[in-house]
Amino acid sequence: MTAWRTRRSPRLGPFGMRVLFWLLVELWVLNIADLLLTRYSLWLGFATESNNVMDYFFRSGTAPTVAFKIGIVTVGTLLLWRLHRYRTALFAAALLTGVFAAVVVYQTLWVLSL
Amino acid sequence: MDPPPERRRSEKRALLFAALVILAGAALGAGGFLLEQATSNWRPQIVRTQTGWRITEVRMLGFGGLALCDERIAWQDGPSVLLLDLRSGKARLLGPGNEAPATWQPAVSERYVVWFEGAGEGASSADAWTYDVATRRRRQIATLDDVLSFPSVSAARTVWCAARDAESRIVGVDLTNDKGLVVASEYGRPVIDGALVAWARSSGGGPSSFVLADVTQGRSWTVIPSGLGGAAGLTGFDLSGRTLVWGQQDAQTAVGRIVAQNVDTGAASIVAEGARMATAPSIDGDTVVWAEQTPDAAAYRVMGRRLRGGPSFQIARVDGQVQSALVSGGIVAWLVDNGDRSPTWIETARIPR
Repeated sequence: MTAWRTRRSPRLGPFGMRVLFWLLVELWVLNIADLLLTRYSLWLGFATESNNVMDYFFRSGTAPTVAFKIGIVTVGTLLLWRLHRYRTALFAAALLTGVFAAVVVYQTLWVLSL
Repeated sequence: MDPPPERRRSEKRALLFAALVILAGAALGAGGFLLEQATSNWRPQIVRTQTGWRITEVRMLGFGGLALCDERIAWQDGPSVLLLDLRSGKARLLGPGNEAPATWQPAVSERYVVWFEGAGEGASSADAWTYDVATRRRRQIATLDDVLSFPSVSAARTVWCAARDAESRIVGVDLTNDKGLVVASEYGRPVIDGALVAWARSSGGGPSSFVLADVTQGRSWTVIPSGLGGAAGLTGFDLSGRTLVWGQQDAQTAVGRIVAQNVDTGAASIVAEGARMATAPSIDGDTVVWAEQTPDAAAYRVMGRRLRGGPSFQIARVDGQVQSALVSGGIVAWLVDNGDRSPTWIETARIPR
Protein backbone atom coordinates (compact mmCIF):
# COMPACT_ATOMS: atom_id res chain seq x y z
CA MET A 1 0.00 0.00 0.00
CA THR A 2 2.86 2.35 0.82
CA ALA A 3 4.67 1.48 -2.41
CA TRP A 4 1.53 2.13 -4.40
CA ARG A 5 1.10 5.56 -2.79
CA THR A 6 4.67 6.59 -3.67
CA ARG A 7 3.97 5.95 -7.38
CA ARG A 8 0.93 8.23 -7.43
CA SER A 9 1.06 11.55 -9.26
CA PRO A 10 2.53 14.39 -7.20
CA ARG A 11 -0.07 16.66 -5.64
CA LEU A 12 -0.95 20.06 -7.07
CA GLY A 13 -0.73 23.19 -4.95
CA PRO A 14 -3.35 26.00 -4.95
CA PHE A 15 -1.59 27.78 -7.85
CA GLY A 16 -1.55 24.62 -9.96
CA MET A 17 -5.24 24.13 -9.30
CA ARG A 18 -6.01 27.65 -10.51
CA VAL A 19 -4.01 27.00 -13.71
CA LEU A 20 -5.88 23.74 -14.18
CA PHE A 21 -9.21 25.52 -13.77
CA TRP A 22 -8.40 28.11 -16.46
CA LEU A 23 -6.98 25.46 -18.79
CA LEU A 24 -10.21 23.48 -18.52
CA VAL A 25 -12.28 26.61 -19.23
CA GLU A 26 -10.13 27.28 -22.32
CA LEU A 27 -10.42 23.65 -23.41
CA TRP A 28 -14.21 23.81 -23.21
CA VAL A 29 -14.38 27.06 -25.22
CA LEU A 30 -11.88 25.79 -27.81
CA ASN A 31 -13.99 22.66 -28.22
CA ILE A 32 -16.99 24.82 -29.18
CA ALA A 33 -14.79 26.79 -31.62
CA ASP A 34 -13.56 23.50 -33.13
CA LEU A 35 -17.14 22.31 -33.55
CA LEU A 36 -18.26 25.53 -35.27
CA LEU A 37 -15.21 25.69 -37.55
CA THR A 38 -15.53 22.02 -38.54
CA ARG A 39 -19.22 22.44 -39.29
CA TYR A 40 -18.49 25.54 -41.40
CA SER A 41 -15.61 23.85 -43.23
CA LEU A 42 -17.82 20.88 -44.10
CA TRP A 43 -20.57 23.24 -45.29
CA LEU A 44 -18.06 25.05 -47.53
CA GLY A 45 -17.48 21.74 -49.30
CA PHE A 46 -13.70 21.76 -49.25
CA ALA A 47 -13.18 19.61 -46.15
CA THR A 48 -13.99 16.09 -45.08
CA GLU A 49 -14.21 14.84 -41.49
CA SER A 50 -11.37 12.38 -41.01
CA ASN A 51 -12.49 11.30 -37.53
CA ASN A 52 -14.86 8.40 -38.21
CA VAL A 53 -16.80 8.89 -34.97
CA MET A 54 -17.41 12.59 -35.64
CA ASP A 55 -18.12 11.83 -39.28
CA TYR A 56 -20.91 9.51 -38.14
CA PHE A 57 -22.42 12.22 -35.94
CA PHE A 58 -22.08 14.94 -38.61
CA ARG A 59 -23.98 12.68 -40.99
CA SER A 60 -26.62 12.06 -38.31
CA GLY A 61 -27.47 15.74 -37.94
CA THR A 62 -26.60 18.88 -36.03
CA ALA A 63 -28.28 18.07 -32.69
CA PRO A 64 -26.56 14.67 -32.15
CA THR A 65 -23.22 16.21 -33.21
CA VAL A 66 -23.52 19.11 -30.76
CA ALA A 67 -24.72 16.82 -27.97
CA PHE A 68 -21.88 14.32 -28.47
CA LYS A 69 -19.08 16.84 -29.01
CA ILE A 70 -19.99 19.11 -26.11
CA GLY A 71 -21.03 16.22 -23.91
CA ILE A 72 -17.85 14.21 -24.23
CA VAL A 73 -15.57 17.20 -23.64
CA THR A 74 -17.70 18.38 -20.70
CA VAL A 75 -17.41 14.93 -19.13
CA GLY A 76 -13.66 14.96 -19.80
CA THR A 77 -13.12 18.37 -18.24
CA LEU A 78 -15.24 17.45 -15.18
CA LEU A 79 -13.20 14.25 -14.81
CA LEU A 80 -9.94 16.20 -14.97
CA TRP A 81 -11.27 18.71 -12.44
CA ARG A 82 -12.23 15.83 -10.15
CA LEU A 83 -8.55 14.81 -10.31
CA HIS A 84 -7.45 18.37 -9.59
CA ARG A 85 -5.28 17.31 -6.67
CA TYR A 86 -2.86 15.51 -9.04
CA ARG A 87 -0.22 17.07 -11.25
CA THR A 88 -0.98 14.56 -14.04
CA ALA A 89 -4.38 16.26 -14.47
CA LEU A 90 -2.60 19.56 -15.09
CA PHE A 91 -0.28 18.02 -17.70
CA ALA A 92 -3.19 16.33 -19.44
CA ALA A 93 -5.23 19.56 -19.48
CA ALA A 94 -2.26 21.58 -20.81
CA LEU A 95 -1.63 19.01 -23.55
CA LEU A 96 -5.29 18.87 -24.60
CA THR A 97 -5.69 22.66 -24.56
CA GLY A 98 -2.50 23.11 -26.60
CA VAL A 99 -3.64 20.56 -29.20
CA PHE A 100 -7.12 22.12 -29.42
CA ALA A 101 -5.57 25.60 -29.78
CA ALA A 102 -3.37 24.29 -32.63
CA VAL A 103 -6.36 22.71 -34.37
CA VAL A 104 -8.55 25.81 -34.00
CA VAL A 105 -5.84 28.19 -35.27
CA TYR A 106 -5.06 25.87 -38.20
CA GLN A 107 -8.77 25.65 -39.11
CA THR A 108 -9.25 29.42 -38.82
CA LEU A 109 -6.32 30.15 -41.12
CA TRP A 110 -7.48 27.47 -43.54
CA VAL A 111 -11.02 28.86 -43.73
CA LEU A 112 -9.66 32.39 -44.22
CA SER A 113 -7.40 31.19 -47.03
CA LEU A 114 -10.28 29.82 -49.11
CA MET B 1 -15.18 41.26 0.17
CA ASP B 2 -12.24 41.57 -2.28
CA PRO B 3 -9.68 38.75 -2.26
CA PRO B 4 -6.31 39.67 -0.77
CA PRO B 5 -3.68 41.12 -3.18
CA GLU B 6 -1.57 37.96 -2.95
CA ARG B 7 -4.52 35.86 -4.09
CA ARG B 8 -5.25 38.28 -6.99
CA ARG B 9 -1.64 38.12 -8.16
CA SER B 10 -1.73 34.36 -8.03
CA GLU B 11 -4.97 34.33 -10.05
CA LYS B 12 -3.40 36.58 -12.69
CA ARG B 13 -0.33 34.38 -12.93
CA ALA B 14 -2.54 31.31 -13.32
CA LEU B 15 -4.43 32.99 -16.17
CA LEU B 16 -1.15 34.02 -17.79
CA PHE B 17 0.15 30.48 -17.61
CA ALA B 18 -3.04 29.13 -19.17
CA ALA B 19 -2.80 31.77 -21.92
CA LEU B 20 0.78 30.71 -22.63
CA VAL B 21 -0.43 27.16 -23.27
CA ILE B 22 -2.93 28.51 -25.81
CA LEU B 23 -0.22 30.63 -27.42
CA ALA B 24 2.08 27.64 -27.75
CA GLY B 25 -0.73 25.63 -29.37
CA ALA B 26 -1.63 28.54 -31.66
CA ALA B 27 1.99 28.84 -32.79
CA LEU B 28 2.03 25.13 -33.55
CA GLY B 29 -1.21 25.39 -35.57
CA ALA B 30 -0.04 28.46 -37.48
CA GLY B 31 3.31 26.81 -38.19
CA GLY B 32 1.61 23.70 -39.51
CA PHE B 33 -0.64 25.77 -41.75
CA LEU B 34 2.26 27.82 -43.14
CA LEU B 35 4.32 24.67 -43.73
CA GLU B 36 1.43 23.09 -45.61
CA GLN B 37 0.99 26.22 -47.74
CA ALA B 38 4.71 26.40 -48.49
CA THR B 39 4.86 22.77 -49.61
CA SER B 40 1.68 22.84 -51.73
CA ASN B 41 2.51 22.88 -55.43
CA TRP B 42 -0.76 23.92 -57.07
CA ARG B 43 -0.05 27.67 -57.11
CA PRO B 44 0.96 29.05 -60.50
CA GLN B 45 3.33 31.97 -60.85
CA ILE B 46 1.21 35.13 -60.79
CA VAL B 47 2.84 38.41 -61.81
CA ARG B 48 1.23 41.82 -62.22
CA THR B 49 1.95 43.37 -65.62
CA GLN B 50 1.43 46.88 -66.97
CA THR B 51 -1.94 45.91 -68.39
CA GLY B 52 -3.16 43.21 -66.01
CA TRP B 53 -1.80 39.84 -64.89
CA ARG B 54 0.39 37.10 -66.26
CA ILE B 55 -0.18 33.63 -64.84
CA THR B 56 2.40 31.02 -65.76
CA GLU B 57 2.15 27.33 -65.04
CA VAL B 58 4.67 25.82 -62.65
CA ARG B 59 3.70 22.15 -62.57
CA MET B 60 4.06 21.77 -66.36
CA LEU B 61 0.75 19.93 -66.66
CA GLY B 62 -0.61 22.45 -69.15
CA PHE B 63 -3.15 25.23 -68.74
CA GLY B 64 -6.41 24.85 -70.61
CA GLY B 65 -10.09 25.70 -70.63
CA LEU B 66 -9.85 29.40 -69.89
CA ALA B 67 -13.07 31.12 -68.74
CA LEU B 68 -13.55 34.80 -67.92
CA CYS B 69 -16.31 36.83 -66.34
CA ASP B 70 -15.79 40.41 -65.20
CA GLU B 71 -13.00 40.36 -62.64
CA ARG B 72 -12.46 36.60 -62.43
CA ILE B 73 -10.84 33.95 -64.56
CA ALA B 74 -11.08 30.20 -64.10
CA TRP B 75 -9.02 27.61 -65.90
CA GLN B 76 -7.62 24.11 -65.78
CA ASP B 77 -4.09 23.38 -64.63
CA GLY B 78 -3.73 19.72 -65.47
CA PRO B 79 -6.50 18.07 -63.50
CA SER B 80 -7.06 21.05 -61.19
CA VAL B 81 -9.57 23.87 -61.57
CA LEU B 82 -8.27 27.26 -60.44
CA LEU B 83 -9.95 30.62 -59.94
CA LEU B 84 -8.17 33.97 -59.89
CA ASP B 85 -9.60 37.25 -58.64
CA LEU B 86 -8.19 39.86 -61.01
CA ARG B 87 -8.61 42.66 -58.47
CA SER B 88 -6.48 41.07 -55.77
CA GLY B 89 -4.47 38.50 -57.72
CA LYS B 90 -5.55 35.85 -55.23
CA ALA B 91 -5.81 32.33 -56.65
CA ARG B 92 -8.03 29.55 -55.30
CA LEU B 93 -7.89 25.84 -55.93
CA LEU B 94 -11.48 24.76 -56.52
CA GLY B 95 -11.10 21.11 -57.39
CA PRO B 96 -11.08 18.34 -58.05
CA GLY B 97 -11.52 16.38 -54.85
CA ASN B 98 -9.28 13.48 -53.90
CA GLU B 99 -11.44 10.92 -55.66
CA ALA B 100 -11.73 12.71 -59.01
CA PRO B 101 -8.47 12.94 -60.92
CA ALA B 102 -9.98 14.45 -64.08
CA THR B 103 -11.77 17.70 -64.83
CA TRP B 104 -13.16 19.41 -67.85
CA GLN B 105 -12.87 23.05 -68.78
CA PRO B 106 -14.71 25.26 -66.28
CA ALA B 107 -17.25 28.01 -66.93
CA VAL B 108 -17.60 31.17 -64.88
CA SER B 109 -20.36 33.73 -64.35
CA GLU B 110 -20.63 36.80 -62.13
CA ARG B 111 -21.19 34.56 -59.09
CA TYR B 112 -20.64 30.92 -59.97
CA VAL B 113 -17.94 28.65 -61.35
CA VAL B 114 -19.16 25.36 -62.82
CA TRP B 115 -17.01 22.40 -63.82
CA PHE B 116 -17.11 18.62 -64.20
CA GLU B 117 -15.09 16.11 -62.25
CA GLY B 118 -14.58 12.59 -63.59
CA ALA B 119 -13.25 9.37 -62.14
CA GLY B 120 -10.38 9.23 -64.61
CA GLU B 121 -8.93 10.70 -67.77
CA GLY B 122 -11.19 9.89 -70.69
CA ALA B 123 -14.10 9.03 -68.42
CA SER B 124 -17.44 10.08 -69.86
CA SER B 125 -19.38 10.04 -66.60
CA ALA B 126 -18.83 12.93 -64.25
CA ASP B 127 -20.13 14.96 -61.37
CA ALA B 128 -21.03 18.59 -62.00
CA TRP B 129 -19.74 20.96 -59.32
CA THR B 130 -20.24 24.62 -58.60
CA TYR B 131 -18.38 27.18 -56.52
CA ASP B 132 -20.32 30.16 -55.22
CA VAL B 133 -18.04 33.20 -55.09
CA ALA B 134 -20.37 35.01 -52.66
CA THR B 135 -20.52 32.26 -50.03
CA ARG B 136 -17.19 30.56 -50.95
CA ARG B 137 -19.10 27.29 -50.95
CA ARG B 138 -18.36 24.37 -53.26
CA ARG B 139 -21.04 21.76 -53.87
CA GLN B 140 -22.06 19.03 -56.25
CA ILE B 141 -25.06 19.88 -58.41
CA ALA B 142 -25.52 16.84 -60.65
CA THR B 143 -24.23 13.42 -61.62
CA LEU B 144 -23.99 12.80 -65.35
CA ASP B 145 -23.82 9.43 -67.10
CA ASP B 146 -22.35 10.64 -70.36
CA VAL B 147 -20.93 14.15 -70.73
CA LEU B 148 -21.09 15.50 -74.29
CA SER B 149 -20.09 19.14 -73.85
CA PHE B 150 -18.39 21.55 -71.50
CA PRO B 151 -20.60 23.50 -69.13
CA SER B 152 -21.66 27.08 -69.82
CA VAL B 153 -22.94 29.41 -67.09
CA SER B 154 -24.55 32.83 -67.04
CA ALA B 155 -25.73 34.52 -63.84
CA ALA B 156 -27.29 31.60 -61.92
CA ARG B 157 -28.12 29.28 -64.83
CA THR B 158 -25.79 26.61 -66.12
CA VAL B 159 -26.29 24.34 -69.13
CA TRP B 160 -24.48 21.45 -70.79
CA CYS B 161 -25.12 18.52 -73.09
CA ALA B 162 -25.27 15.00 -71.70
CA ALA B 163 -26.69 11.67 -72.79
CA ARG B 164 -29.10 9.52 -70.84
CA ASP B 165 -30.42 6.22 -72.19
CA ALA B 166 -28.54 6.91 -75.44
CA GLU B 167 -30.43 10.16 -75.95
CA SER B 168 -28.52 13.44 -76.15
CA ARG B 169 -30.09 16.30 -74.24
CA ILE B 170 -29.19 19.88 -73.52
CA VAL B 171 -29.97 20.32 -69.86
CA GLY B 172 -28.90 22.46 -66.96
CA VAL B 173 -29.48 23.61 -63.43
CA ASP B 174 -30.80 26.79 -61.88
CA LEU B 175 -28.13 27.35 -59.24
CA THR B 176 -30.37 29.41 -56.96
CA ASN B 177 -32.69 26.48 -56.23
CA ASP B 178 -30.94 23.47 -57.86
CA LYS B 179 -33.95 22.92 -60.13
CA GLY B 180 -33.12 21.13 -63.35
CA LEU B 181 -33.64 22.74 -66.77
CA VAL B 182 -34.39 20.82 -69.94
CA VAL B 183 -33.48 23.00 -72.91
CA ALA B 184 -33.67 20.59 -75.85
CA SER B 185 -33.60 16.90 -76.70
CA GLU B 186 -30.75 17.02 -79.16
CA TYR B 187 -26.98 17.20 -79.31
CA GLY B 188 -25.21 20.53 -79.17
CA ARG B 189 -22.49 22.42 -77.35
CA PRO B 190 -24.54 25.07 -75.64
CA VAL B 191 -23.56 28.62 -74.73
CA ILE B 192 -25.83 30.53 -72.37
CA ASP B 193 -26.17 34.28 -71.85
CA GLY B 194 -29.00 35.48 -69.64
CA ALA B 195 -32.05 33.41 -70.51
CA LEU B 196 -30.83 32.62 -74.03
CA VAL B 197 -29.10 29.35 -74.93
CA ALA B 198 -27.43 28.89 -78.33
CA TRP B 199 -25.88 25.89 -80.01
CA ALA B 200 -24.87 24.90 -83.52
CA ARG B 201 -26.95 22.27 -85.27
CA SER B 202 -25.00 20.14 -87.71
CA SER B 203 -26.12 18.40 -90.84
CA GLY B 204 -23.91 16.62 -93.31
CA GLY B 205 -20.70 17.31 -91.41
CA GLY B 206 -20.87 21.08 -91.09
CA PRO B 207 -23.08 23.36 -89.02
CA SER B 208 -26.13 24.43 -90.96
CA SER B 209 -27.84 26.60 -88.38
CA PHE B 210 -27.72 28.00 -84.89
CA VAL B 211 -30.52 27.12 -82.52
CA LEU B 212 -31.61 29.70 -79.95
CA ALA B 213 -33.74 28.76 -76.96
CA ASP B 214 -35.23 31.09 -74.40
CA VAL B 215 -35.36 29.09 -71.17
CA THR B 216 -37.82 31.46 -69.49
CA GLN B 217 -40.34 31.51 -72.35
CA GLY B 218 -39.79 27.94 -73.49
CA ARG B 219 -39.51 28.86 -77.17
CA SER B 220 -36.72 28.15 -79.62
CA TRP B 221 -35.89 29.20 -83.15
CA THR B 222 -33.08 28.85 -85.65
CA VAL B 223 -30.73 31.37 -87.19
CA ILE B 224 -29.08 30.56 -90.50
CA PRO B 225 -25.43 31.64 -90.34
CA SER B 226 -24.86 34.28 -92.95
CA GLY B 227 -22.41 33.22 -95.65
CA LEU B 228 -21.17 30.02 -94.03
CA GLY B 229 -20.55 27.29 -96.54
CA GLY B 230 -18.16 25.81 -99.05
CA ALA B 231 -14.78 25.01 -97.56
CA ALA B 232 -15.39 27.18 -94.53
CA GLY B 233 -15.70 25.48 -91.17
CA LEU B 234 -17.07 26.90 -87.95
CA THR B 235 -14.27 27.69 -85.47
CA GLY B 236 -16.62 28.56 -82.64
CA PHE B 237 -19.25 31.00 -81.51
CA ASP B 238 -20.28 33.15 -78.58
CA LEU B 239 -23.42 34.90 -77.44
CA SER B 240 -24.02 38.22 -75.70
CA GLY B 241 -27.48 39.72 -75.33
CA ARG B 242 -29.19 39.33 -78.70
CA THR B 243 -25.96 39.08 -80.70
CA LEU B 244 -24.35 35.89 -81.85
CA VAL B 245 -20.77 36.11 -83.03
CA TRP B 246 -19.12 33.26 -84.83
CA GLY B 247 -15.90 32.49 -86.64
CA GLN B 248 -15.25 30.51 -89.76
CA GLN B 249 -12.04 29.37 -91.35
CA ASP B 250 -11.21 28.11 -94.80
CA ALA B 251 -9.96 24.54 -94.43
CA GLN B 252 -7.33 24.97 -97.15
CA THR B 253 -6.02 28.50 -96.70
CA ALA B 254 -6.77 28.84 -92.95
CA VAL B 255 -7.96 32.36 -93.67
CA GLY B 256 -10.90 33.22 -91.50
CA ARG B 257 -13.81 35.53 -91.02
CA ILE B 258 -15.77 36.69 -87.99
CA VAL B 259 -19.45 37.50 -88.31
CA ALA B 260 -21.86 39.10 -85.83
CA GLN B 261 -25.51 38.26 -86.29
CA ASN B 262 -28.65 39.44 -84.56
CA VAL B 263 -30.54 36.42 -83.23
CA ASP B 264 -33.96 38.03 -83.81
CA THR B 265 -33.59 39.62 -87.23
CA GLY B 266 -30.74 37.53 -88.65
CA ALA B 267 -29.02 40.76 -89.75
CA ALA B 268 -25.31 40.05 -90.08
CA SER B 269 -22.18 42.18 -90.24
CA ILE B 270 -18.60 41.18 -90.83
CA VAL B 271 -16.39 41.94 -87.84
CA ALA B 272 -13.07 40.80 -89.32
CA GLU B 273 -11.84 38.89 -92.33
CA GLY B 274 -8.76 38.06 -94.29
CA ALA B 275 -6.50 37.02 -91.43
CA ARG B 276 -5.41 33.59 -90.23
CA MET B 277 -7.59 33.28 -87.16
CA ALA B 278 -6.09 31.56 -84.14
CA THR B 279 -9.15 31.43 -81.92
CA ALA B 280 -12.91 31.56 -82.01
CA PRO B 281 -14.39 35.00 -81.32
CA SER B 282 -15.64 36.13 -77.93
CA ILE B 283 -18.24 38.82 -77.35
CA ASP B 284 -19.36 40.90 -74.38
CA GLY B 285 -21.78 43.75 -74.97
CA ASP B 286 -20.60 45.38 -78.18
CA THR B 287 -16.96 44.28 -77.93
CA VAL B 288 -15.73 41.35 -79.97
CA VAL B 289 -12.29 39.88 -79.31
CA TRP B 290 -10.28 37.24 -81.14
CA ALA B 291 -6.67 36.24 -81.84
CA GLU B 292 -5.04 36.03 -85.22
CA GLN B 293 -1.62 35.61 -86.77
CA THR B 294 0.24 38.80 -87.55
CA PRO B 295 0.38 39.57 -91.28
CA ASP B 296 4.03 38.46 -91.43
CA ALA B 297 3.06 35.23 -89.54
CA ALA B 298 5.89 35.88 -87.07
CA ALA B 299 3.65 36.14 -84.02
CA TYR B 300 0.07 36.31 -82.87
CA ARG B 301 -1.99 39.26 -81.79
CA VAL B 302 -5.13 39.68 -79.76
CA MET B 303 -7.58 41.92 -81.59
CA GLY B 304 -10.81 43.68 -80.71
CA ARG B 305 -13.58 45.58 -82.41
CA ARG B 306 -16.63 47.51 -81.27
CA LEU B 307 -19.83 46.56 -83.01
CA ARG B 308 -21.16 50.12 -82.68
CA GLY B 309 -18.47 51.27 -85.10
CA GLY B 310 -14.81 51.94 -85.65
CA PRO B 311 -11.99 49.80 -86.98
CA SER B 312 -10.52 46.75 -85.30
CA PHE B 313 -7.70 47.44 -82.86
CA GLN B 314 -4.77 45.49 -81.48
CA ILE B 315 -4.93 44.67 -77.78
CA ALA B 316 -1.67 42.76 -77.46
CA ARG B 317 1.07 41.21 -79.53
CA VAL B 318 1.88 37.73 -78.27
CA ASP B 319 5.06 35.75 -78.85
CA GLY B 320 3.31 32.42 -78.63
CA GLN B 321 0.40 30.53 -80.04
CA VAL B 322 -2.85 31.91 -78.64
CA GLN B 323 -5.29 29.09 -77.86
CA SER B 324 -8.22 31.18 -76.71
CA ALA B 325 -9.05 34.86 -76.27
CA LEU B 326 -11.98 36.06 -74.20
CA VAL B 327 -13.59 39.36 -73.27
CA SER B 328 -15.84 40.33 -70.35
CA GLY B 329 -16.49 43.58 -68.56
CA GLY B 330 -13.71 45.50 -70.29
CA ILE B 331 -11.12 42.81 -69.55
CA VAL B 332 -9.49 40.58 -72.12
CA ALA B 333 -7.78 37.30 -71.23
CA TRP B 334 -5.87 34.98 -73.51
CA LEU B 335 -4.22 31.60 -73.11
CA VAL B 336 -0.89 30.88 -74.79
CA ASP B 337 0.54 27.43 -75.45
CA ASN B 338 3.78 26.93 -77.35
CA GLY B 339 3.84 23.17 -77.08
CA ASP B 340 5.16 20.60 -74.63
CA ARG B 341 8.53 22.11 -73.89
CA SER B 342 7.56 25.55 -72.67
CA PRO B 343 5.10 26.51 -69.96
CA THR B 344 1.64 27.69 -70.93
CA TRP B 345 0.51 31.03 -69.63
CA ILE B 346 -2.50 33.30 -69.34
CA GLU B 347 -2.43 37.07 -69.71
CA THR B 348 -5.05 39.66 -69.02
CA ALA B 349 -5.42 43.26 -70.11
CA ARG B 350 -7.96 45.99 -69.53
CA ILE B 351 -9.32 47.64 -72.66
CA PRO B 352 -10.73 51.17 -72.62
CA ARG B 353 -14.52 51.17 -72.63
